[in-house]
Amino acid sequence: MEDRVIEVNFGPQHPSTHGVLRIKVKLDGEIIVDAQPVIGYLHRNAEKLAEMGSYPKGLVYIDRLDYVSALNMELGYVLAVENLMDVQVPERAQWIRMLMVELNREASHLIWLGTHGLDMGMLTPFFYCFRERERILRILDEITGSRLLYNYFAIGGVYSDVTAKSLEMIKAWTDDFVLKLEEIQSILGKSYIYVSRTKGVGVLTADDVLSYGVTGPMQRASGIKRDLRKNSPYLFYDQINFDVPSRTEGDVYARFLVRIEEMRQSAKIVAQVLEKIPQGEFYNKKYSKPMLVRLKTTGESYVPTESPKGEYGIHIIGDGSSIPYRVRIRSPSFANLSSLPTMLKGYKIADLTAAVSSIDPVFGEVDR
Amino acid sequence: MSDNILVTSLDEALKWGTGKSLWPFTFGLACCAIEMMSAMGSDYDWARFGSDIFRDSPRHSDLMIVSGTVTKKMAPRVRRLYDQMAFPKFVISMGACASAGGPYVRGYSVVDGVDQVVPVDVYVYGCPPRPEALIQALKMLQDRIVSGKVKH
Amino acid sequence: MIPVESETSTKNGIKIIYVAKENILQYLKEKKDEGFDTLLMISGVDYKDHLEVLYHLLSSSSNTHLIVKTKTNDEVDSVTSLWKGADWHERETWDLVGIKFKNHPNLKRILLADGWVGHPLRKDYPMDKKQYVNLGEDGEDRVSYEKTEGY
Repeated sequence: MEDRVIEVNFGPQHPSTHGVLRIKVKLDGEIIVDAQPVIGYLHRNAEKLAEMGSYPKGLVYIDRLDYVSALNMELGYVLAVENLMDVQVPERAQWIRMLMVELNREASHLIWLGTHGLDMGMLTPFFYCFRERERILRILDEITGSRLLYNYFAIGGVYSDVTAKSLEMIKAWTDDFVLKLEEIQSILGKSYIYVSRTKGVGVLTADDVLSYGVTGPMQRASGIKRDLRKNSPYLFYDQINFDVPSRTEGDVYARFLVRIEEMRQSAKIVAQVLEKIPQGEFYNKKYSKPMLVRLKTTGESYVPTESPKGEYGIHIIGDGSSIPYRVRIRSPSFANLSSLPTMLKGYKIADLTAAVSSIDPVFGEVDR
Repeated sequence: MSDNILVTSLDEALKWGTGKSLWPFTFGLACCAIEMMSAMGSDYDWARFGSDIFRDSPRHSDLMIVSGTVTKKMAPRVRRLYDQMAFPKFVISMGACASAGGPYVRGYSVVDGVDQVVPVDVYVYGCPPRPEALIQALKMLQDRIVSGKVKH
Repeated sequence: MIPVESETSTKNGIKIIYVAKENILQYLKEKKDEGFDTLLMISGVDYKDHLEVLYHLLSSSSNTHLIVKTKTNDEVDSVTSLWKGADWHERETWDLVGIKFKNHPNLKRILLADGWVGHPLRKDYPMDKKQYVNLGEDGEDRVSYEKTEGY
């Protein structure tokens, strides 16, 4: 029987690897016997480079980790550094951060939804999602001056204030985004082909989830309802009213539903932040730009945050100089992707793209 | 009518046709790939400029957009994919990383410029470049193809 | 009960516990039974005179974090028997920091190419000595110090 097993190489260039993932798949006919991911094709030595420059300089590399939600990445870093140096952040800056992070989460999930549609053989959701995403990017562009990688959060606040025009843009966006989302969801969710290709595919049980350290929407789709924004709130998430969606099936379809619901909740958070955002400083004046480079600190800090992919945090160790001694990135995609062999074993080869794209891996973050 | 004139004008027609029907290769490496997707997405829609379908196989395509950081582990694979493309083939190096290593140039595992791996026709600056910049690069490449100033 | 060497905490109050490296597997097993059911990450730090291994644990029911550290010079016990996710994290720590994990099923490089010399996150890693990667006949990576041999 053994000689019936053939080995197929998948990637590192393949339209549905979401980057540079390579999977060595062992097949018995159409059934996947074993699938071992090979990573490292985008290893950009972010951790080493962050140890080679001052604290604010590290933000450049952190930005480029999960490049579809760069603001979420920045947040983890600035929170850790601020915690390490006891930097006070003005209230308005924290509310702006929340606003931006949620907008970026929407953009990230929209990219996932579009490419997930592509992987399942549907071109339409891609264009619908990119149309909506461009609207969010225009807002972020208006506030930060950049479309994808922002370098917007600074130690002690944010680099520029939100303008009245941008707030109006966000208001207009929140008003009809949920309707647009309904439309996109119905393209996939009401398609018989999509549902039958995803239901019961790539199942991860709650035990597997804990054993692999899987977090984020994947964890919540497997029945473990844990969201850091709710369970250990940072910024002002405790003053916001939102739900944490969860499912128990643990398959690709459950992850689809969880992410869609998360987008709805994010829009809800954005609408509430708009009402609550106070007037005041957007920046701690004590930490102006030339000051930042000379910041020195000692001690350790790890601040976990909820990125679109899962629990993300940065463990920083300072040795008293102006350069961090060690920057260690806890990247959710890395742990999520390591569960792939379990997710694929026993399924058909055609389920592979569905399972891989349901992880939503971003290789800047997996390989760092 | 001598043979020569006929050959050159056919050549011109061929160049014009090649320039206006580039098939790019779906080859996303890093952050820039997202902007490349934006360029083909709804708002920017670069099919308007004759570069219509993103092909999934290197053997079907004649334009490689190196969109992102080329690491040392990936570079031999980039070269192999380039070798698999059929002539005539063109390369756009998109973004700071692909052009010169970008912010990672001081590191240990990043190739400082994809031009050490494959011949590049057009470089695009930016980290990441906006979709408009990529579209401009496409137009520049088309002009170069028509005037015959391309590398292979 | 496994003895604890010392106890500190991070700036935001996450407990850091130092355990002797002989006891690390036992100690983590104890903690897992206590409810720290998720292993978030394993990382290594090079302190020039010794290496440290960090285990970030999480109790998903009570949502508390815990960091367990151990000092070593070269190797510690693998915890892949407790958490399946430890596999990749330990491979990465071996790849970048150069800490060996005893009884790991498949301890080889994960991010860098097979055959790479040195561990980049060590403080004495020579950053000016470039290495070049190319594909061999069998489709696997070849690493060399010669610029002409690869990219």
